[in-house]
Amino acid sequence: MGKVIVITSGKGGVGKTTSTANLGTALAMISKKVVIIDADVGLRNLDVVMGLESRVVYTSMDVIEKRCELEKALVKDRRVEDLFLLAASQRNRKDDIKPEQMLDICERLKEIYDFVLVDSPAGIEQGFHNAAAGAEEAIIITTPDVSAIRDADRIIGLLQNQDIEPINLILNRLSPTLVKKGNMISKNDVLDILNIDLLGIVPEDPGVIASTNRGVPLVHNDGSPGADAYMRIARRMIGQRVPIPEMRDDNFFSNILKWFSRNK
Amino acid sequence: MENSIVKLRGYKDGLHLIITPKVDLVEVETAINKLLEGMNQPLSGTSIHIDLTTSPLTSDDMKELETYLTENYDLVVSGVNILDENDESPILAAPATHSIAPNLQADDQPDFGQAKIVRQTIRSGQTTSCLTGSVLIYGDVNPGGEVVASGDIIVLGALRGNAHAGAHGKLSSVIIAMELVPLQLQIGTYVNRPPLGQKSRGYPEIARVGAEDVIIVEEFIKFN
Ligand SMILES: Nc1ncnc2c1ncn2[C@@H]1O[C@H](COP(=O)(O)OP(=O)(O)OP(=O)(O)O)[C@@H](O)[C@H]1O
Ligand SMILES: [Mg+2]
Repeated sequence: MGKVIVITSGKGGVGKTTSTANLGTALAMISKKVVIIDADVGLRNLDVVMGLESRVVYTSMDVIEKRCELEKALVKDRRVEDLFLLAASQRNRKDDIKPEQMLDICERLKEIYDFVLVDSPAGIEQGFHNAAAGAEEAIIITTPDVSAIRDADRIIGLLQNQDIEPINLILNRLSPTLVKKGNMISKNDVLDILNIDLLGIVPEDPGVIASTNRGVPLVHNDGSPGADAYMRIARRMIGQRVPIPEMRDDNFFSNILKWFSRNK
Repeated sequence: MENSIVKLRGYKDGLHLIITPKVDLVEVETAINKLLEGMNQPLSGTSIHIDLTTSPLTSDDMKELETYLTENYDLVVSGVNILDENDESPILAAPATHSIAPNLQADDQPDFGQAKIVRQTIRSGQTTSCLTGSVLIYGDVNPGGEVVASGDIIVLGALRGNAHAGAHGKLSSVIIAMELVPLQLQIGTYVNRPPLGQKSRGYPEIARVGAEDVIIVEEFIKFN
């Protein structure tokens, strides 16, 4: 029996879709069976980031409205084995899906797959509730800025009320140079407030945008700091003990590379 | 928050909703809605008295009003006092200072003994309130989170959000936190907004109303 994990944030644009695409791909690369679900109905873009846009024939709405079988709606990834996408309808609105329908889809998928990752829309409205409806665990994405942290905190409260546990944190777009100069909220400041377990830190990486535009998740691009960060997070998700490297100084990237080659 | 049709007042026996005579139910409900929506302290779960002088509200109206208060604001109506217009009612005949600013008379209020203990962090968007006494929090109060108590507020963690102690006007109420870095403190009607971005001083602190009628914050050593 697999796990259903909602990837959510409250604030928009902090990296939910990027994280879903990369973690889904990374987990499949380490031999897990994975489905990623786009729950951002109406504004779907997980398929674009995955480079699967042209292959989407059916969406979750077709499954719900019984126009096709669940298995048939899953789009197979071209690059990795055992990775599938369930796309969101672009025509429908977020409140066209009901929480029980989402729950039903997730329950059926986790019978077969090891990980079901749900990419949540921004906000705390119905779309968020639908995305979380089938999840037993959550990953919160935040960037190190006050408003993203505030929204993450709000979301954590809502998830805790729904008994979603554990709720882990990914701190995205941390720039070690800025932290060092005191211009950015540090990892410890964020953890102090949110008080949940840190699953990983993804550094600011220009490679992310390039990979988004090409429709190839960054983790295919061995050696980039963002890709390495996502690979480490995926390993933690399957229970391996992979330390979180401290972002100490400007030589952070080379430190990570050193650290990484030492541990290979 | 002054509202000419309905007023909310704290008295020794609890909260009173005072309704001005000669208005109909719809007007009363609209006024209540305006009054309660405008408050930043939710009264959810509180019991409340309704005081009216001779008024066109029938007993059916009163039933409907009770349901309205319960369903919309989670208030428990604990009694209705129908007062004769000539009646020397304890409320309407009370000295002006009392009825206009009960908060300033605060310390004649009993020390309500029903404390509330919260074993979690109050996160952004969450509120916890205790209108029968003090609140003790085993956790933090994050920015965007809010605690309201008619008595003291004690946070065994960091207070980073809003706290309102002495919400019914008990000015001897205090706010204590292991780290006191709030967005806003309120004791009775006094408000204190510490400078933005201030850091914890690394020791527990206490906020109370000082001699100059301002909220002062100092290191917390012990209760005196
Ligand atoms: N670590 C990173 N380094 C650099 N750019 C990043 C990083 N993470 C995300 N981005 C960029 O931030 C933008 C938003 O990312 P993404 O679409 O994943 O966010 P989202 O939370 O899914 O947004 P929405 O709330 O709109 O669904 C994208 O342009 C992406 O390329
Ligand atoms: Mg997205």
